[in-house]
Amino acid sequence: MRIILQNLTKCFPSRNKKSNEIVTAVKDLSIEIPDGKLIGLLGPSGCGKSTTLYMICGLQKPTEGKIYFGDSDVTNLEPEHRGVGLVFQNYALYPHLTVKQNILFPLQNLKGAEKLSKDEMLNRAQHAADLVQIGELMDRKPNELSGGQQQRVAIARALVKTPRVLLLDEPLSNLDARLRLQTREEIKRIQRETGVTTVFVTHDQEEAMSISDMIVVMKNGVVQQVGEPQKVYDDPDNLFVAQFLGTPPINTFDGVVTGGKLYIGNDCIADVPGVEDQPVAVGIRPEGFIPADDGGLSGRLINVEVMGRDCSVVFANEKSRKPSVRAIIDSDLKIATGGDNAIRFNIKRNKVFIFNNETGERIRF
Amino acid sequence: MNKTNDINVSSLSKAQRTSKIIRYTVIYIFLTIMAVIVIFPFYWMIISSFKTLEEYRANVPTLWPQHIVFENFSEAFSKANLWDLFLHTMYVGLISTVLSLIVTVLSAFAFARLNFKGKNVVFGLLMATMMVPGELYTITNYMTVSGRLPFLSEPVESLDFTNTFAVLIFPMLVSVFYIYLLRQTFLQIPNELYLAAKVDGTSDFKYLWKVMLPLSVSTIITITILKMMGAWNAYIWPRLVANDAAHQLITNGLRGASFTNEFGDVNYPAQMAAVTIVSIPLFLVFVFLRKYIMRGVSRSGIKG
Amino acid sequence: MNKDLKKPKNRISLKGDLDGRNQYKAWLYLSPALILLLIFSFYPLINTFRMAFANGYNGLAIVGGETFDFGIENFKTVVNYVDFKLCLKNTLLLCVITVPISTVLALLIAVALNSIKPLQKIYQTIFFLPYVTNSIAIGMVFNAMFTRVGLGDLIQTQGIINNIIGIFGIGPINFVNVGSSWGANMFVVCTYIVWNAIPFKILVLLGGLQNVNKQYYEAAKIDGTSKLRTFFKITIPLVSPMLAYVIITSFIGGFKEYSSIVGIFGEGMGPGGNGQMNTIVGYVYNMLPKSNLGNASAASLILFGIILIVTAINGYVSKKKVHY
Repeated sequence: MRIILQNLTKCFPSRNKKSNEIVTAVKDLSIEIPDGKLIGLLGPSGCGKSTTLYMICGLQKPTEGKIYFGDSDVTNLEPEHRGVGLVFQNYALYPHLTVKQNILFPLQNLKGAEKLSKDEMLNRAQHAADLVQIGELMDRKPNELSGGQQQRVAIARALVKTPRVLLLDEPLSNLDARLRLQTREEIKRIQRETGVTTVFVTHDQEEAMSISDMIVVMKNGVVQQVGEPQKVYDDPDNLFVAQFLGTPPINTFDGVVTGGKLYIGNDCIADVPGVEDQPVAVGIRPEGFIPADDGGLSGRLINVEVMGRDCSVVFANEKSRKPSVRAIIDSDLKIATGGDNAIRFNIKRNKVFIFNNETGERIRF
Repeated sequence: MNKTNDINVSSLSKAQRTSKIIRYTVIYIFLTIMAVIVIFPFYWMIISSFKTLEEYRANVPTLWPQHIVFENFSEAFSKANLWDLFLHTMYVGLISTVLSLIVTVLSAFAFARLNFKGKNVVFGLLMATMMVPGELYTITNYMTVSGRLPFLSEPVESLDFTNTFAVLIFPMLVSVFYIYLLRQTFLQIPNELYLAAKVDGTSDFKYLWKVMLPLSVSTIITITILKMMGAWNAYIWPRLVANDAAHQLITNGLRGASFTNEFGDVNYPAQMAAVTIVSIPLFLVFVFLRKYIMRGVSRSGIKG
Repeated sequence: MNKDLKKPKNRISLKGDLDGRNQYKAWLYLSPALILLLIFSFYPLINTFRMAFANGYNGLAIVGGETFDFGIENFKTVVNYVDFKLCLKNTLLLCVITVPISTVLALLIAVALNSIKPLQKIYQTIFFLPYVTNSIAIGMVFNAMFTRVGLGDLIQTQGIINNIIGIFGIGPINFVNVGSSWGANMFVVCTYIVWNAIPFKILVLLGGLQNVNKQYYEAAKIDGTSKLRTFFKITIPLVSPMLAYVIITSFIGGFKEYSSIVGIFGEGMGPGGNGQMNTIVGYVYNMLPKSNLGNASAASLILFGIILIVTAINGYVSKKKVHY
């Protein structure tokens, strides 16, 4: 099911009751979600990603704008008529019901022509449980399950009605680190097997990058960039996106463009033909540094952390916006330091981005 | 040097141990005396109910009945008509409990789960009534149920409900405190369960019935016990509006029953037997369902 | 509730969304409660004011076009009435005597209970035992314990309490029989009320004490603070919210005292039904069948006023004295 969000805006009355301020959670959001894909809504907390999810689901109504599932306008449809399955951050399993009863619950609400026979319901529930591999836990209560198992039950409950759209709200945030890795693979597998269009919300960029077919980066209710994860990473539209994606995060510097050349301090690090002379923000990915005696960028070595295959070189540069700059390099490479721990790097051209100093917009070169 | 230190420490700890022993002795003696005082009325009630009238009246009291007799209990049942009183009380108690639960659940659900204009105002108004002593209502309610309506010169005979069971049930049906108690329980149920149910197309009523109530069983039990105990211990209102033999509740019957014999002497053992019978259900509730009562009562300050 | 349901960090507000459609439904759910409250709570509240301020009101309005002047006639009658003054005096004394005694005793017992380990559960059960009682029924037991059977030379037993204090060479005292003094009656009633009030207070205070972080006591011990000082400087301040709570609830309960006295003396509210132990609530109920509704309403409003004042004073004191 293809989902189209058209100029969605969502306003709330401010929590502070005395002021009659209106808080805009989502502003003029338009995206198209292709059928059968796994989409990650990504952004820091409070960016409007959960609100967007709830609007797709129908639990919240947009103040303005339209939502289409396929060709039909579902903007004013109640959630139960949209054919969506929703998995909550805390799973929202009914604590007094067994796993089986939890999964059966949505089916028991079906009315009229959709009504199923008891056997059919049990079949569907068993099928959904098998899909998420919890077939043996059907008679347990939620508090007898681990966090990961509870999540599977929640997914099974969302899938049992064979929804057109599966929505997941922060699916991994309540799991420990080891389970997180395992579960995100699991979500990807389930999504592939069912082919259901899936939208999930996360604040963890690594999580979003690793399993999404497409990510939507949001900030303050406004979409910053939409695209395949690798593409967004390699070609960010603005400073926020560049900073939000990637671990370790991108290094930022105060730079200046003069005569088609990009300077950080006195170091010229790249040719940027056609860019007007102006002060700019420079972002360099940690993997964009190559240690070289005659490199363009200078710095003073602080520390080298060897982490197996890679090593992380921490150094200081006067123009860096943070106290230290972090470069990830192959651990085979020798790092030569001059007197006073001076160190020089060449910069990979495709790992350097420059941004307008005021707007943060990308300046391409 | 080391040695002298050791000696000092050990003598000090010896002194500490002595003072500790004295302190605990005092504490246990105090607690034991208080415990005896607390328990004595119950003890006296029970042993008196097994004594003969002669033994009860003996100049030198006995702390254990010399001859255990059970006649006092049959005397209590017949003199105070306890069986009828028990049936009346159970009838009123059960019906009030069921109706009260329905009303309470519906209102608590509205306050906890639904949003509507004026919710806070209405809720605040209800909470404020908890401050008002019940005596203030009793006067007008007494008039209302006896058909004396405002601005009418004559009581309306057909609206006189005194000496009916209805009048024991309806005026006390709504308890703002129970609504508050259940609302608090409902509010602890995570919002997400409701949202999940909504996504699945669950109606409000089904959500209330299938999810909220099962998750609030212990509060429902608390309310049931308090309501039943209310009927059991009710005195003032029933005495005022339904004190005839056909509707009398157990506490009224107990206080009103005459245990005076033909010589004008009170048959205290029989009276104590009746009191024991009335107290036993409360003991049982206390022993087996204590935690439910305490949940409710420690929040309200009302006594059983 | 269930521990396995973690609360999410930020709740999604649905104001004006999903719940907006429930306007009429909410009132439907509320209607049974609201209708009953309207008839049996809100209307009586207003009507009580009306009756209290209608001079000489007897419950039946406008007989033959007669209307009532509004004024404070009823209140004047009530406060000048000797019986009411006695009721007010009794009620105030009951509060002033029983509240401090029961609170101090309950606090001592709670602290004692909290400091022991062996037998703690047994003692706890014993002290909670009078917690759910029928105050009329147990009042009758107290009456039996204090009553002497027989008259004059024919007295057969002085009652168990007289027997007990006789061991210490006191008495016998006529506590509750016909001809007993007001003071003796007061003693019996106060004893009963204190006995009745203690379990609830122990329960609340013990709960408070058990919630106090043990580290405060350990810190005090390391500093060498004496037990007494620890009690007054640490224990009392830390349980002060519970103390405030039990004091205010027992004051309010005390002002509404009625059924304990009915339990002991019957509805005559005194030995031989002479009414010398009557209370404000008892006064209100005495007025009712006599159709003296104006006076009854005025008296109940005075009771309401007293309770409001006590609550307000408590609120003020709590703000100043209660820690946290």
